[in-house]
Amino acid sequence: MTALDQGPVVLDEAALLRAEVARLTDERDALRAQMQHRDGELEVATRMLAARAQTMTSVIDAVTEQSIIGTDLDGVVRVWNPGAEKLLGLPRAEVVRRRRITDFHLPEELAASGSGLTALVRVARVEGRDVRDWTYVTATGDERTVSVAVTPRSDDSGEHAGWNFVATDMTEVRAGERLKDQFVSLISHELRTPLSSILGYLELVLDDPDQPLTDEQRSYLGTVERNAQRLLRLVGDLLFTAQVEAGRFTLQPEDVDLPAVLRAAEETARVAAAAAGVQVDLELPAGGLVVRGDAVRLGQACDNLVSNAVKFTPAGGRVTLSLRAGWRSADGGFGDEELPGCTPVARIDVTDTGYGIPAAELDQLFTRFFRASTARRNAVKGVGLGLSITKAITTAHGGTLDVASTEGRGTTFTLTLPR
Amino acid sequence: MEQPAPRVLVADDEDDIRGLVRLAVRRAGCTVVAEVADGTAALDAARAHVPDLAVLDVSMPGATGLEVCTALRAEAATAGVRVLLLSAGASAEDVARGLAAGADSYLAKPFSVAGLVARVRELSAGVPA
Repeated sequence: MTALDQGPVVLDEAALLRAEVARLTDERDALRAQMQHRDGELEVATRMLAARAQTMTSVIDAVTEQSIIGTDLDGVVRVWNPGAEKLLGLPRAEVVRRRRITDFHLPEELAASGSGLTALVRVARVEGRDVRDWTYVTATGDERTVSVAVTPRSDDSGEHAGWNFVATDMTEVRAGERLKDQFVSLISHELRTPLSSILGYLELVLDDPDQPLTDEQRSYLGTVERNAQRLLRLVGDLLFTAQVEAGRFTLQPEDVDLPAVLRAAEETARVAAAAAGVQVDLELPAGGLVVRGDAVRLGQACDNLVSNAVKFTPAGGRVTLSLRAGWRSADGGFGDEELPGCTPVARIDVTDTGYGIPAAELDQLFTRFFRASTARRNAVKGVGLGLSITKAITTAHGGTLDVASTEGRGTTFTLTLPR
Repeated sequence: MEQPAPRVLVADDEDDIRGLVRLAVRRAGCTVVAEVADGTAALDAARAHVPDLAVLDVSMPGATGLEVCTALRAEAATAGVRVLLLSAGASAEDVARGLAAGADSYLAKPFSVAGLVARVRELSAGVPA
């Protein structure tokens, strides 16, 4: 091959090289531009993350009345907000990564529910959350009663990474509740004791065969006795309400003959009903109807409903107590036949033809001390505890208490109990 | 030969209630051997008289009726004394606490005098003289 022959080849190679350099240069510029774009995106993302973290931190740091403590899976503290600093008396720097959540609990309280961290998270591990009272021990050794909400904590990939403990100091609240409880017990005792004397000595005077009373004296002393009994019932209702509130209300379960309970309620109301000119009818099933429950409390519930019905019904009216067996559906419906998903129940209806209750007041009816406007307007006596007590008794039995009323036409209370 | 009347100790810090209990005890055909107003005196009187029946108020100064009852049961000389507790506490838990302390019976205040007479008669019946 001649030199001339080789000339164009050299030129071609140089052109190819130049083209390649140009292509690589373009590629480099494109990559640089892409990198600059990614840099920008990264910066924005970093700023957003920092802002989000700052928001979270500022929110957690702004909580000064609740202690927020986050731990890892071993219970080592990773988050400690100002609320925790204030409640437990230790700065963040002394706690984070250096102390465990269990260091701030009463060891014997943890031991009673298991041991260590397991005791604290046992329920939250299964149910996803748990709220209950615990005792925190502060840096100075003080004990504080706290309501702690425990929830699992996840990391950025959604993996379970630890636990959150959000606590509210309830020391004063619980102390107040105990004080109220003691106060009610004290008042109850202090009222019952003089009432014992009043009723006891009245009984002696009324039943003394050696010194019979005149009809007038007997009538006056009967009024004294009736009012002493009324005061006694009020004391009992107040004490019972306090027990319900304190969660100390317990049932003494036994087989309860409901027709007997209703007959007793009718008998109890008979005198007052006759005096008020109200007729009381009893509709009982042919066979017996027995439920598992506390006979005394169920009697109290029925007495309350019947006595209310009589008090709410003007002269010439009627109160009907009916009992029947049936089935209650999940949506609260009632039927005589068994259907899938239904619960067998005993149903008690107390229906009156009285003043009724305005529709707008029905949802407040079971609130303590609530009195319907029709009760006040018609001078119906009472303090507004009977229905809240009846509701508490029904609920404790796993039953339901509902009301339907039309003002001016009457009211029906329906109580169902599992059978 | 006529049996001597059963002997009863009455302890309550309320004068008026003690008066009612005294009357009920007598109506039940029993004799009141001592009447005291606090738990410590009740325990002393029970040791001194060893009655057939002690009617004890639950809330008393010195020692509660429950504490007196427990102490009576713990001592051989008084372990056989029957105990009727009277209390303003009327809940099932109150009754359970009373019976757990060793009481034979429990009556909530206010009680009917006739009911108390019947209870005292029942508890003192068959008690050896």
